[in-house]
Amino acid sequence: MQELRELARKLLQEKQVSAILGYEHGRLGTRPAFVTDVADCERLVFDHRCVHNLAAYLSPRRTHIAALGRLAVVVKSCDARAVAGLIRESQIKREDVVLIGVRCGGVVRDAADARPLSADNVAPRCVACEKREPTLADHLVGEPKPAPAGSGSRDARLSEIEAMSAGERLALWMQLLAPCTRCHACRQVCPMCFCERCIAEKTQPTWIETSPHARGNLAWHLTRALHLAGRCVDCGECERACPAQIPLGLLNRKVARVVADRYGYIVADDPSTPTPIGTYQLDDAQEFIQ
Amino acid sequence: MNTKRMLSRANLDALIRDLVAAGTVVVAPTHSSGQERTGVTYGQVQSPDEVLLDGPQPIRPLKGVVFPPTEALFRWRQEKSAVKIEEVPTGFKETVVIGARPCDAAGLEVVDCVMGWDFRDELWFGRRQATTVLAMACTTCDESCFCTAVGLSPTSTRGADWFLTPVDGGFEVDVVTPKGEAILDRYKARCPEAGGAAPSRTAGLEQQVRANLDVRPDRIRGWLETHFDDPLWKRVALRCHGCGACAFVCPSCHCFDIVDEPDGAASGTRRRNWDSCQTALFTLHGSGHNPRKDQTARFRQRIMHKFSIYPARFGEVLCTGCGRCVRVCAAGMDLVSILAEIDRAAQGGGEA
Amino acid sequence: MNLYQPHLVRVEEMVDETIDTRTFKLSFEDAAVAERFDFKAGQFGEYSVFGAGECTFCIASPPTRKGYIEASFKAVGKATRAMRRLNVGDTMGFRGPYGNYFPLDQMMGKNILFIAGGIGLAPVRCVIWNTLDLRDRFRDVTIVYGARSVADLVYKRELEEWAGRSDVILHQCVDPGGETPDWKGDICFVPTLVEKLAPSPHDTYAIVCGPPIMITFTLPLLEKLGFASDHVYTTLENRMKCGLGKCGRCNVGSVYVCKDGPVFTAAQLKTLPPEY
Repeated sequence: MQELRELARKLLQEKQVSAILGYEHGRLGTRPAFVTDVADCERLVFDHRCVHNLAAYLSPRRTHIAALGRLAVVVKSCDARAVAGLIRESQIKREDVVLIGVRCGGVVRDAADARPLSADNVAPRCVACEKREPTLADHLVGEPKPAPAGSGSRDARLSEIEAMSAGERLALWMQLLAPCTRCHACRQVCPMCFCERCIAEKTQPTWIETSPHARGNLAWHLTRALHLAGRCVDCGECERACPAQIPLGLLNRKVARVVADRYGYIVADDPSTPTPIGTYQLDDAQEFIQ
Repeated sequence: MNTKRMLSRANLDALIRDLVAAGTVVVAPTHSSGQERTGVTYGQVQSPDEVLLDGPQPIRPLKGVVFPPTEALFRWRQEKSAVKIEEVPTGFKETVVIGARPCDAAGLEVVDCVMGWDFRDELWFGRRQATTVLAMACTTCDESCFCTAVGLSPTSTRGADWFLTPVDGGFEVDVVTPKGEAILDRYKARCPEAGGAAPSRTAGLEQQVRANLDVRPDRIRGWLETHFDDPLWKRVALRCHGCGACAFVCPSCHCFDIVDEPDGAASGTRRRNWDSCQTALFTLHGSGHNPRKDQTARFRQRIMHKFSIYPARFGEVLCTGCGRCVRVCAAGMDLVSILAEIDRAAQGGGEA
Repeated sequence: MNLYQPHLVRVEEMVDETIDTRTFKLSFEDAAVAERFDFKAGQFGEYSVFGAGECTFCIASPPTRKGYIEASFKAVGKATRAMRRLNVGDTMGFRGPYGNYFPLDQMMGKNILFIAGGIGLAPVRCVIWNTLDLRDRFRDVTIVYGARSVADLVYKRELEEWAGRSDVILHQCVDPGGETPDWKGDICFVPTLVEKLAPSPHDTYAIVCGPPIMITFTLPLLEKLGFASDHVYTTLENRMKCGLGKCGRCNVGSVYVCKDGPVFTAAQLKTLPPEY
């Protein structure tokens, strides 16, 4: 942690950045922190409760953050995939941000969880994580950490659902989406949901009904999952943020599976890899175009 | 109404069965079904086995019972140039809520003020009238609870028609309102008069909650009235995602949107839907002008409306200290810390 | 029947004021509603285009004219665009009247100075006609009105009528570059014209409405000229939905524009944060 704080102090002192975006301890667990003073760098931490994806704060739509100036952002490898996505899709320029990569040993599901990291509380994506430090980084801090304990196939539930009939799947999703109140927390915390005006906010015409009834909820969630095809970085923030505890990750993981099967594409933190939705290859599968 | 009655767990179960058999909608804290969901929520129950009275606070607020997330206002049908409007009913099925948390019950009363302000909202009051609230004293709390800081407590009877206090052997029943009396009359056999007062299982909770946050709402309001441009807003709002999850889980947030939903070329429904001042669209004018164009302004509005504007207008803080906003916030905004900081600043007389 | 259910109104007439501003004349379908409908100058309504939604406009016709109401609007969003596609004979909805009103009773026996810019003339026009319909109860009536160009002036027929009346003083202006060869009025911004006219504040109420930039310059100017801030009135707009104080959208500072407004004095505006 001292390594992180010293680096932060140096970046601010040398005016390489105007603010550090990292994590601090709040009253109940860790939370994002914006540090602009050298003296405040003491607040910066990195531990297994640093579950938040800070890349969401880099969107140019967040004008009050952009006003701070050039930022240095603390990124885990999953977060770095999101930063790569923002660069890939021309939302930010690589040189406009300093990336402080951290070596991560896994994080908990809940930022307020006071227990040590264990198989019981680890975020499912961490158990399957193959690369616990980002490649996309200007600096790399922290000691290499072992893989977190955890067992079971991450996508067991997904495979169960895939084995259901279409009718059963629809019934399941209607039930799972019923408590959605369309707060759009899933969208707001997602680094890849940076549209100036989301399709659900458009009124001429109204593409997606805004009402939290069965039809509106299905339309919203399916559309969002499809709009994230090949773009979702599997950071789990949407599911963490959902106040109705809807397992949104299942939808995103399913779409990711389709993209991997069809296009051999898995999201990585290399901004130069073209996104499948944004590129066309002559040998792309197209038998479904009749 | 002053005599305390005793309701054994067995009699409570029997009461639930009686109500269900009579066609009454019974709402209580219950496990969400399906293997994915682990939260407890207020839901309709068909039997006492589904009712969870000593679990954690339901993740959704009770307001959904009288103010559904989406509600039809009327339907229309168009025939050439003419339009016919089909009314929606303003009478609703009798509903009894069993095991409402005091913070949720109080929320209903606090919102009554605005729903009855000059124009009477028949939909809100129609559902209110049809709903009897049997609230229950809390036996657990956590570090996010702060009801005592806004004039309530784990044993507050605000908004309750009956107030149940868990005691050895069952519940002590305090019949608070005439509506509570009416339910008691129908089910008197379930609730004999009590002997002596049995020891309550809620002791010590109030102190625990007070330890989370000890502030004065009037002092906070005074600071808010004079610190519109305080640097606190810019600093605190940086981490806010503007998602509105806080508003949607809040027992007293009531802002709503009105939309027309056609279901074809010639008919449709006008609905009102839960909405939040935290979204960018909330104040966006048709001209493109947005008076609250960043999260700093929007976050400030939330705090101002709850702790200064609504109290000034109606004499009630628009918050019941349930703590859901703290628990649910993905960015760790922590209203408890923010209120503590404002209260400290208010006492210090300077900037936060 | 609930409070969100509109009355049905029929589009009786349509007038294009400018290339993008249209005025509708509406009549209530239900004779009983038509009979008892009443309002005061300054109040607004929620106008429904079924299927598209509701829009908020002041009632642009005066309460002294019975049997119909008018609304003037620009097509800027979903509901106003849908409104523009309607024809005479089509059915709309109307909820209202909502909001507060200009205290004309208080202004009787005094001079009234109307200052408006662009489509801001619409809410003011209601008060102007209300005043003119009761002309002998007021002293001097002065109207200062301007728009970006001659084409952008609204209520052109009525401007001609007011210009022709001996009991009304009308001053008009268009922005530099907005004049036509035969333009007889001033060529400047509205606040500039007001400054040039230097109206006396003595026993005078000012009613001001226009785009935010015009208000920003005109209110301090009136203060400089000696107008007491509780003698200067304006009408605010803010994004609304319910229009009757429940949905929370129009809340700014300590007021709900739909309940405490839309008519405010300059003194009241000073107490509000700049979030409207």
